[in-house]
Amino acid sequence: MISGKERGLRVLRELGLPVPPWFAIGPAECRAGVTDGLVTDGLAAELADGVRALETATGLHFGAAGGGARGGTEDDAGGGTGGGGGEGLLVSVRSGAAVSMPGMMSTVLGVGTRDALHRAVATVVGSWDSPRAVTYREVHGIPHDLGTSVIVQAMVHGDRDERSCSGVAFGRDPNTGEPELYGEIVRQARGDAVVSGERPTEPLTVLPEPVRAALRAALDRLEVHHRDACHVEFTVESGSLWFLQVRPGGLAGRAAVRVAVDLADAGLIERREAVRRVSPRHVRSARTPTISRTGNGSDLIARGRGASPGVACGRIALTADHAAQMAAHGPVVLVRPHTSPLDMHGLAAAAGVVTVLGGPTSHAAVVARAMGKPAVVQAGLSVDLPASRVRVGEHSYPEGTVVTIDGSSGEIVLGEAAVTSGAADDHLRRLLEWAAPPGADPPV
Amino acid sequence: MSTPADLLVLHTLRCIGFAELARVARAAGLGEPETESELIDLAVAGLVTRTPGAFGGWGLTDAGRAADAERIAAELDGGGARPAVTAAFERFLVLNPELLDLCSAWQMRVTDGVGEVNDHGDAGYDARVLARVDDLHRRATTVCAELAAALPRFGRYPDRLGAALGRVRAGDLEWLADGMDSYHSVWFQLHEDLLATLGIPR
Repeated sequence: MISGKERGLRVLRELGLPVPPWFAIGPAECRAGVTDGLVTDGLAAELADGVRALETATGLHFGAAGGGARGGTEDDAGGGTGGGGGEGLLVSVRSGAAVSMPGMMSTVLGVGTRDALHRAVATVVGSWDSPRAVTYREVHGIPHDLGTSVIVQAMVHGDRDERSCSGVAFGRDPNTGEPELYGEIVRQARGDAVVSGERPTEPLTVLPEPVRAALRAALDRLEVHHRDACHVEFTVESGSLWFLQVRPGGLAGRAAVRVAVDLADAGLIERREAVRRVSPRHVRSARTPTISRTGNGSDLIARGRGASPGVACGRIALTADHAAQMAAHGPVVLVRPHTSPLDMHGLAAAAGVVTVLGGPTSHAAVVARAMGKPAVVQAGLSVDLPASRVRVGEHSYPEGTVVTIDGSSGEIVLGEAAVTSGAADDHLRRLLEWAAPPGADPPV
Repeated sequence: MSTPADLLVLHTLRCIGFAELARVARAAGLGEPETESELIDLAVAGLVTRTPGAFGGWGLTDAGRAADAERIAAELDGGGARPAVTAAFERFLVLNPELLDLCSAWQMRVTDGVGEVNDHGDAGYDARVLARVDDLHRRATTVCAELAAALPRFGRYPDRLGAALGRVRAGDLEWLADGMDSYHSVWFQLHEDLLATLGIPR
């Protein structure tokens, strides 16, 4: 059984897309090959063989950079300075479980020596049993005995220079399923910076057009190959695009409906397969009220991640104190870089909240859900307190500007936006007709 | 070395934000009359103020925030507690994402990739989440004990966390992630306290 991550790497390579060379060690070998945090002789020999193959493929020598390692989600197996431009081969060590557990497993980047590689492999394998990973599996009903494989891959450096970045790209808008390139990057950063929520992200529109065209072309081919919408993780190193991972599926609600109908229309799947893919849960979610945008999105200020569902409209307040004062004269949307307990009275006063940092499981998201208030996190904007403005690229909006936020789609739009229930969604109507032709009882 | 009552009240406000007297007293672990008397003295000194209105309450002034930072740093270094608190904070940071995962799982349930509000209709699911909260709480209690050994004022947190979890166990489900004294709220304040105590910006 190979992991989704490794299967994805194989697909990328078979489609002729640029992928750094890698090798994988299966879950059984990993489990048997790491005892008490140490790598057995057998696994050490397997790692040495794999590294030799990477040396051949890259023409670089492992151990030449003398790099330590930089820890990923949980651990730091290294010490040392980490690579970023040495002459030697540096590798990343990632987990590859059969079931995706996003953010739960350790990743170690920039490994440049044999000892560091052994420690990194032990760290990644051991992270399967970390309390947070155990919690994730318990909550999501994933068996504990699956174990993880380990993928060792030649590093590409998203932090190399000002023409470098790391990002994630979708072939379709993950909120609507509309075919359009969507995603985010962090400049001069490694991949872990994109998902951590610790650094502000920027939309893909800041990338040079040739890179965007290459991403668009790759995602189109991947969608045809997988017969499903896909997203990729990528790194741009000094202007060159590299793919690190592809995942098919994962869209929900109205996006899942749109994808299924589009794929059936394109003849990539049967109509009954389209119906099979969309569960009653997706249909229910597709009917959740969201912002209805007019035109081509000129009213869209910024996007983030929906963290507490619902739509809220109000004037922008940039501090909790302002929110509490302004709320006396009408609804406000609190926009903060992040939140602390000192912002709670502002959150209580606000109709909705937007934060720049922190993900859907941040304190701000938990509090917003507890208060039943729509929330958008990791919003692609910055808060300029001295100027009392919200900034997005070249644009800026003063405190007091009326905005509408959507806690499902993560959209922030200018003014008081109309809300749609999704009932009028043409794709949903057609899919429901395929599920139950006119005259039959509706299935949901 | 125990923290003097005036600093305890000042620092409590630093960590919980705007709050009415009863909540300040509960968080500080003091009686309401004593807390009110300290708040009035602090207000006279210009360190706290009471804002009227629907979202008002007792809160720090800028001078109060500066005074708190100075006195809390002096307490930390005067007692030689910085290394122990720093070490405990690092352990706290390992637990923090797991607690946030659990609160999120308690509020929203993801099935088929669709996140829906957890209606608490599936007792098995809730029990799985709570079992992991219990496990996390045991580990958090160890960290809190290390903190309280270094600075006794941190001893309020395991008491308040334990009380919130007790309420959840008794069937008051909102005490895990909702409300001003819920497990998550107390945890969030502990996080803020550690950052404020160590002088780390959020």
